[in-house]
Amino acid sequence: MAPRHQLSRDPAAAWAPYAPDAARPWTLARASHLYRRAAFGARAEDLVRALAGGPEQAVAELLAPPGDLTAFDRARDADETAACRSGRSDAVRDWWLRRMILSPHPLRERMALLWHAHFALDAAQVKEAPAVRRHVALLREHALGSYRSLVEAMVRDPALLASLGAAASRRGQPAEGLARALLERWTVGAEHCAEEDVREAARAFTGTFVRGDEVIHVAREHDGGVKRVLGRTGPFTGEDVVQIALAHPATAETVVRRLWRAFVSEVEEPAPALLAPLARSFAAGLDLGRLAGTILRSSLFFSDAARGQRITSPVELAVGLVRSLEGLIATSTLARDLDRLGQRLLHPPTARGWAGGPAWIDRVTLLRRQALAAALLAEGGAYGGRLDPREVAARHGHADVNAAADFLADLLLPEGGEAVRSAARAELSRGAPGEALRRFAIAIARSPEYQLS
Amino acid sequence: MIPTRREFLEVALGATGALSFGAAQPGWLRRLPGRAAPGAGETALVVVQLSGGNDGLNTVVPYGDDEYGRHRPTLRLAERELHKIDDHLGFHPRLGGIAALYRDGLASIVQGVGYAGSDRDHGPALRAWHTADPAPGRETGWLGRVADAAQGPEHDDTPVMFVGPIAAPFALNATRAVVPAIGSLAELAVDAAPARPAEGGAEGAERSLLAHVRRTERAAQALSEAVARARDARSRVEYPSGPFAADLFTVARLIRAGAGIRIFCTELGGEGFGGFDNHANQLGNHCALLQQLSAAVSAFLRDLEAAGLLDRVLLMTFSEFGRTLAENGRRGTGHGAAAPVLLAGGRLRGGLLGVHPSLTDLDQGAPRPHTDFRRVYATVLEGWLGLPSEPVLGGSFAPLPAFAG
Amino acid sequence: MLCELLLVAGPLLRAPLAAPPAADDLTDWLPADPLLVIEAPRPRALFEPLLDAELAAVVTSLPPWQAWAASPEGREFWNVVRTLEATLGLDWRTALARLAGGGAVLAVAPPESLLLVLEAEDADLLLRLHTILLGFARAEAAREGDASRLDPVRHGDVEVWSFDGKEVHAIVGNRLLFANRREGLVAALERRAASPGARLAGAEGWRAARATAGPDAAVRLYADLARLKENPGFARGLEEGRANPLAALLFAGIVEAMREASWLSAGLAVADEGFVLRAVVDGAADDPASPAAFARPDPADAPALPSLAVPGRLAAIGLHRDLHGFYAAKDELFPERTSSLIFFENMMGIFFTGRDLTDEVLAETRPGVRLVVAEQRHDPAAGVPEVRIPAFAAVLALRDAGEFGEVIEEAWQKALGLVNFTRGQDALPGLILDRGEQNGTKLTIARFSTAGIDDRAHLPPRFNYSPTLALPQNHLVLSSTEGLARDLVDALARGAGAGPEAGDQDDRVELDGAGIGAALAANREALVRSNMIDEGHTREEAELEIGALLALIGFVDEVDLRVGRRGATTGARLDVHLRRPAAPAPAGPRDAAPR
Repeated sequence: MAPRHQLSRDPAAAWAPYAPDAARPWTLARASHLYRRAAFGARAEDLVRALAGGPEQAVAELLAPPGDLTAFDRARDADETAACRSGRSDAVRDWWLRRMILSPHPLRERMALLWHAHFALDAAQVKEAPAVRRHVALLREHALGSYRSLVEAMVRDPALLASLGAAASRRGQPAEGLARALLERWTVGAEHCAEEDVREAARAFTGTFVRGDEVIHVAREHDGGVKRVLGRTGPFTGEDVVQIALAHPATAETVVRRLWRAFVSEVEEPAPALLAPLARSFAAGLDLGRLAGTILRSSLFFSDAARGQRITSPVELAVGLVRSLEGLIATSTLARDLDRLGQRLLHPPTARGWAGGPAWIDRVTLLRRQALAAALLAEGGAYGGRLDPREVAARHGHADVNAAADFLADLLLPEGGEAVRSAARAELSRGAPGEALRRFAIAIARSPEYQLS
Repeated sequence: MIPTRREFLEVALGATGALSFGAAQPGWLRRLPGRAAPGAGETALVVVQLSGGNDGLNTVVPYGDDEYGRHRPTLRLAERELHKIDDHLGFHPRLGGIAALYRDGLASIVQGVGYAGSDRDHGPALRAWHTADPAPGRETGWLGRVADAAQGPEHDDTPVMFVGPIAAPFALNATRAVVPAIGSLAELAVDAAPARPAEGGAEGAERSLLAHVRRTERAAQALSEAVARARDARSRVEYPSGPFAADLFTVARLIRAGAGIRIFCTELGGEGFGGFDNHANQLGNHCALLQQLSAAVSAFLRDLEAAGLLDRVLLMTFSEFGRTLAENGRRGTGHGAAAPVLLAGGRLRGGLLGVHPSLTDLDQGAPRPHTDFRRVYATVLEGWLGLPSEPVLGGSFAPLPAFAG
Repeated sequence: MLCELLLVAGPLLRAPLAAPPAADDLTDWLPADPLLVIEAPRPRALFEPLLDAELAAVVTSLPPWQAWAASPEGREFWNVVRTLEATLGLDWRTALARLAGGGAVLAVAPPESLLLVLEAEDADLLLRLHTILLGFARAEAAREGDASRLDPVRHGDVEVWSFDGKEVHAIVGNRLLFANRREGLVAALERRAASPGARLAGAEGWRAARATAGPDAAVRLYADLARLKENPGFARGLEEGRANPLAALLFAGIVEAMREASWLSAGLAVADEGFVLRAVVDGAADDPASPAAFARPDPADAPALPSLAVPGRLAAIGLHRDLHGFYAAKDELFPERTSSLIFFENMMGIFFTGRDLTDEVLAETRPGVRLVVAEQRHDPAAGVPEVRIPAFAAVLALRDAGEFGEVIEEAWQKALGLVNFTRGQDALPGLILDRGEQNGTKLTIARFSTAGIDDRAHLPPRFNYSPTLALPQNHLVLSSTEGLARDLVDALARGAGAGPEAGDQDDRVELDGAGIGAALAANREALVRSNMIDEGHTREEAELEIGALLALIGFVDEVDLRVGRRGATTGARLDVHLRRPAAPAPAGPRDAAPR
């Protein structure tokens, strides 16, 4: 029996799909954990369906939601395209947050957000809003597809090239930003490449220019000489370098580590042996959807050990709360509040994105998280009281104040928060039910437990 | 089938069992000195950015040098209106408050500060001062690096804060830490959490994320209470009107309330090119700005003096560059190089540090710097905050003998 | 009218009548030192629009109205109204008119004391309504086991009631008195009995203010500014008017007059086709040494500012401002040195080749600034921007365009060159410089090229601008578009026309409701999208809200605001002409719903 012994010897068992049994049943807490990590947060109907259908079906539906997505996408695309054309520079950010809140495919938005932190576009370096919108659309398009296609799209994305200072790379003056980002951050990692590799790769990318909203190649500015990159030698082009880097075994580990941090733990550094099976199978096809599916289905993911191992980023915190309460809020206002929590979407602090993890929380950002939770749930104020906990509870058949409170607690914090729940209950005795339930939800959303996922 | 936390750790980490939590922390600078007893005995640094390139020659005026008057037909300041420092130099007529601090030994002037090879463009020059690196490409600011180093998972504090109405300067950009920018104290006032029974166990020692958030929550509540005290605090010293004075008033209240913030950054001159960028009609505009600077800094220090906290505060100004000696034909001046830095506080030696740059040996029309700006940074980091400066500045810079004793 | 008749007749009638006295000035009830008084001497004029079935049909078809009426609160409200209508046997509009038709007056006096006096045309109706409501309240109190709390307290021969223990009211003859504090009501009753000297009617400021409100006012407002200004929030609001240079330029004179004034009086007169609002404060702000003196230039030097008629005009603003005086006083007006101010000075220094902005540039202008906003006509063949921004222009009079004209031309072309250089650095398309001619005036035109753009139906926002300079008739025209510049050249060539009389120093704002509505409707989609993001609305909610906004603007035909000196006072007159859209409000899915 002794699973501990077995797992130590055989990490593959950790990645075996979780199958509920009497000792570890499929519970509300586990279903909620899945949605907190993979979908910003659960709606009541998500939890009901997940509990009825089991973990395998819940993960499958997160990876490929049933129903027609194209109508949703088409309507959003039309609004976003028009909003960007009208020139508001922050439009991309505001509409993206709105899409996260409304999307029937939340895992795709969650992954797009992950890739944003990975590729770390800084919109301040991009003059035209439509180019930023196209960048985000690319992140979304390839979010759960092939990592090869994603990287190939990134190295010829005009917005990202501008952000990397690689809008003009000449034979006599190669721009190193793209080559460095590709090798050190997107593929093999800094420990697997030398300064020399970056310089040589930069030569391969010469002749690449951003002209308006497209990337062009100017043959006479391309350095056609022989380069030596990652141990391979030849008269490489930029495309060749991308394929060499993607084929390097360290690339798979880089991506697997990214997803480990996003889905399993931000604080535990995994032993290479644990990641090895995932990296091996991912290297075969660079299929992101499959990798995400393996992790989300795994015994490890649903184990107690993986709980509470992440701090929700400000975006996840706010979008999750709004999604769980089935609301829609002013995302331009939200974007400004998120800036102050340290996550200025489309303007990461450095090219490494956001540090995340415990760095999200210090005493000032925690005060601001609490203030944001209170503002989102307040009856009036900046968000106009558009989230209404009482109404959501009533919609799901819990009209009585106490029943509604239990429903909200189960929805937002189904485990590990007994003390939070009982303290929040004190709010129920004051004021009208609608107001009392708002205060109850605020008490939960501002608790230390709710900052974790 | 599902591993327990322990099993998971064994798988994840092999046999060591050592948590990586916090391992990303550099070993140096785990905490800022003096932090052990919040509010008691801490020193605070206030960094004031004068945006736009302050005209050092009309701030600390070399009236004794004929070259000065000769090159400034409309901008030269009359000797009799200056607040004399010696028979060569005097403070601008509107710097009466700062001149008085100087006479009382509460202010020093570091002369001829800058760096070699400035391209005299606002963006790059400001970026150099912010990153403490004249070479482009550095992604973090010097104060941001202090924040990153001082703040870690075990640390719930917020060591650095920007106070002002504009977006925080790049000096505060950090890799990990979220350096807060506040416009007013109200932004930090949050109602107390509903009372909760104490969570069981020795969480103080526990190194889980939840323990981190819980510890931070208590610190946040303490900060919130300090802010509430600060909001109610009144000052016996009257501050002048205007947003810069209001920002310094906010800083003074946070210091007096013992909020535990060690470095404050604030700004005069505004976003964009900055109000000190006087290419035209400089005389009146510069007067107005120096008036605000002097009156606000003077009120700030006198306020802390009255509160018995003068020995705990040091204020320093900086600007991205000085200006040209000669006027430009539009009653203004061009971008220059060297400029004086003002230090003000209770434990200074006082007086002038360094000599006034020559007005005959100019570089592209402006006085040459003789003191690298990173020596000033090293001075405040080591001499005032007690931090090793080399990891922050990325090089060794000799501190200046600015402090008494 | 009624009230004024009563005012005259009051003393005659009072003597023979025993309490309750029926006819006198409603303001006799008020404290002698109110902060604020609102009187409705002719409430009928206000009720008439409510009684107008056509207007009511339009209002009730508006989405916000329908949304409210469908909400739980709305339904509950209308249930109560219907119950009362059935009990009284009257529809609510008629009942309201009869209840308050005799006049109404509301006063706010420190500390937080509020008193409302209503005069019913139909005293019997008032009593019946009170009895019904008292019945409801007693039933409620009985359920809670405390019916006695609804018993009245007697003050002299007047019964004072309270339904909820907080508000208090009394009925005296055909008057309903209502107060938020018992002491307030008792004081009002005692005041009636006391000597006339203690009454508001004797207060000098009050009488002076009231006389300015206009004899035909249906509603009058009086505010004791001297005491309101003791309120820190109110005082700060006045101060903020100074801190911002633009606000200082626009509102100078008004703010200073408010600061001097001890009272404010306003009157609203209703006519068939709209309403007129007059407001007066007893401050004149005519100190020539004040930094705000630029807002009251010497009439001998400041020409009257006839409004400029151009096709598709949305708004015209004429301000008697002396820009030279304004800028000369900048140290007192806005002592801060913001980046934008310094940037502006630096640029002006470059454009005007080192000339002193105050004494060598602005001194070349004559007092008076006119601003015009007009609809843009886009030629679909040339291209139409996605978001359509109206054209706008400023017109200044010059002292001597012959001498100074080329200096301005040079400055303008330097500015365009700098814009182009900066945009080029950012790899953004620049402006093509062009010359044109209109009515004998040379134009300096700058426009963006559409070369290489395929989708000309959704051009980027920059295609709303073709900045143009013209110097016709000793004037400087600076326009955001070539079209508006040409129209203004023509308008100036036509001359003043039927403009204001010489010496008229009123500042004036004219708005065209239909045009503004059309300009907003042209951007309906963009407004809807902004509303979705900024309010967190669904597309349906956003369309309803924008639809309602457009429908409301559809009621406004023309707005004309004049502000200026009236002897020792400063006054404003706002004329609003309304129109009634023939059909219910356009668009919105709810329109189809049966009413």
